[in-house]
Amino acid sequence: MSIMEYNGGSVVAMVGKDCVAIASDLRLGNQALGISSNFQKIFPVTDRIFLGLPGLATDVTTLRETFRFRVNMYTIKEEREIEPETFAHLVSSTLYEPTGGFRPFIAATDLIGCLNFAKDFVVAGTASTKLYGTAEGLWEPDLDPEQLFETISQTMLNAVDRDAYSGWGVVVHVIEKDKVTTRTLKGRMD
Amino acid sequence: METSFAITGKGYVLVASDTTAARSIVKMKTDEDKIKVISPHLLMAYSGEPGDTIQFAEYVERNLRLFHIRNNYALRPSAAASWIRRSLAQSLRSRKPYSVNLMLGGFDVTTDTPHLYWVDYLGTMTEVPFGAHGYGAYFGLSLLDRYHNPEATLEEGIETLKRCINEVSKRLVVSPEKYKVKVVDKDGTREIEL
Amino acid sequence: MRLMKSCLKSVCALGALQSSVEYALEAVRKGTCAVGVRGKDVVVLGVEKKSVLQLQDPRTVRKVAMLDDHVCLAFAGLTADGRVLIDKARIECQSHRLTVEDPVTVEYITRHIAGIQQRYTQSGGVRPFGISTLIVGFDPHDTKPHLYMTEPSGIYSAWKANAIGRSSKTVREFLEKNHKDDLSREESIKLAVKSLLEVVQTGAKNIEISVMESYGKITNLDLAQIEAIVAEIEREKEAEAERKRSRLAATAAGQASMTSRTTEGGSGSSSEINVLLVLRFESFEIVYKEQKLLRSYR
Repeated sequence: MSIMEYNGGSVVAMVGKDCVAIASDLRLGNQALGISSNFQKIFPVTDRIFLGLPGLATDVTTLRETFRFRVNMYTIKEEREIEPETFAHLVSSTLYEPTGGFRPFIAATDLIGCLNFAKDFVVAGTASTKLYGTAEGLWEPDLDPEQLFETISQTMLNAVDRDAYSGWGVVVHVIEKDKVTTRTLKGRMD
Repeated sequence: METSFAITGKGYVLVASDTTAARSIVKMKTDEDKIKVISPHLLMAYSGEPGDTIQFAEYVERNLRLFHIRNNYALRPSAAASWIRRSLAQSLRSRKPYSVNLMLGGFDVTTDTPHLYWVDYLGTMTEVPFGAHGYGAYFGLSLLDRYHNPEATLEEGIETLKRCINEVSKRLVVSPEKYKVKVVDKDGTREIEL
Repeated sequence: MRLMKSCLKSVCALGALQSSVEYALEAVRKGTCAVGVRGKDVVVLGVEKKSVLQLQDPRTVRKVAMLDDHVCLAFAGLTADGRVLIDKARIECQSHRLTVEDPVTVEYITRHIAGIQQRYTQSGGVRPFGISTLIVGFDPHDTKPHLYMTEPSGIYSAWKANAIGRSSKTVREFLEKNHKDDLSREESIKLAVKSLLEVVQTGAKNIEISVMESYGKITNLDLAQIEAIVAEIEREKEAEAERKRSRLAATAAGQASMTSRTTEGGSGSSSEINVLLVLRFESFEIVYKEQKLLRSYR
């Protein structure tokens, strides 16, 4: 069993027309035993950057704290908000720090908030294989925010139903130029 | 085997832990208190590798006390939990990590709300309405899914807790015989006889 | 030759050391005064509070610090240095509990603090702590109060009562004159306040009193309580002065009547002047001065 499967959890992000969406499940488990149905894996970095971190929960929390610290330091020193591209590089360099050990979260963090990096969607977590299937079937180009919300929600809800380690509710953030809409969805509890 | 439960209710957190100290298949002691009062409004039930547990619990206790003396106020439950989690996460990547699992029950006097945190030896932390560690968790959690009520009075909470303990006694082969129960609310912490 | 050189060097170093500790002592002498009084089963710390500026929050200026449940420390000298030393002591208190379960004894933490202070007189690139401290408390499982003092050099000593900081000599002499063994709680507090009043002109509002009665039982007196004690002391002083005054007046009157009897006029005008003067002047010193004046007038 890999540490990536120990706590379970999945994240998906999709590109729409002038918007992006990111969604994750809310489960935290100890292998097959569910512990919490309210474990956030997506964190706001700035007003328009969201970071999704599925994986070993202790590292999720630690990295979240590390990024908050580094982004705050960046904001104070530069006197401006960090750009999504810059943040992506910050994430990349933090994860590959020689002392940091092996924490392969990069797949989910590559794209978040970066409209140009991927053309369609990225997936990560224990349900990633299932997410590929559902996303491939549901996603289409140039979805508006409402359509994108529906697409990503269905992608997530249906993928986690096929995964024992993900589920227990879903949270979806739809990011537009000037606003972010966050919705929490109920999921199957079995 | 070691088991601990904790549940929140209306204005309180109940924390229960078994009282056995075992070395391999031998019970060394059956009246060990494994719930520490680490701050005026914070309880910590600990289980795991013997030695590590007490060492880590005392380390936490002394540091929270030091904070209190230095700053003239105690850390709130959320802040204390974050500090404890971070200590465990750092320890995990050290030469000799602590193997300690925790349930942290606290009452935040600034907002008048009870808080319960589930923390494991990896540094995984999540706030929960109820939680459990050890083999008892497999029986207790599903029961609590059915019976837990965040608005329950203390008496009702104790009844729910008894259900969990009875279920573990009934179904678990290696069930502990005795439990210690403590509660934290606006008035601080105290022990409860079941 | 080489030997001489090294000797010379160490003498120079010693000189430098002495002077740096001297500087530290100078800082202590300039610091606000603190007194400690040990009673029968109580120990009292009293400190002179510098008057705060109009817009300053007085709660942020504290000179008595809790080191652990059962030990308190007051210091005189550089406040910034005090804070650092207090923090080191607090860490040691918790560390001691962590390693050996038991809380520190008052003597142990005093020795630790003095040890730190000594270390800073001996290593390079550092200067000594510019503070003296008074450490009070109760040992665990014991009812005997303790009072210790430490100095920048690292000396520490136990006392029945002592003072550090500005005019500490005056206060210590006062304490030497007035301290008795087995003082009660009230007597100890009163002695602490009284001795501080020797150097604190502004009275109650510039005095801070902490009382430790038993293991872990610490009370800080509030302004009203200190004011009450100061008022009581004032009353006693007043009564004492009154007694002296009337005694003096009696002697003076006696003397005057004697003089008037010896002078021929019979009803002597000088005795009348004498009584008048006594009535007019309130304080003893002035009466005393007038007395002398009267004598020269005679």
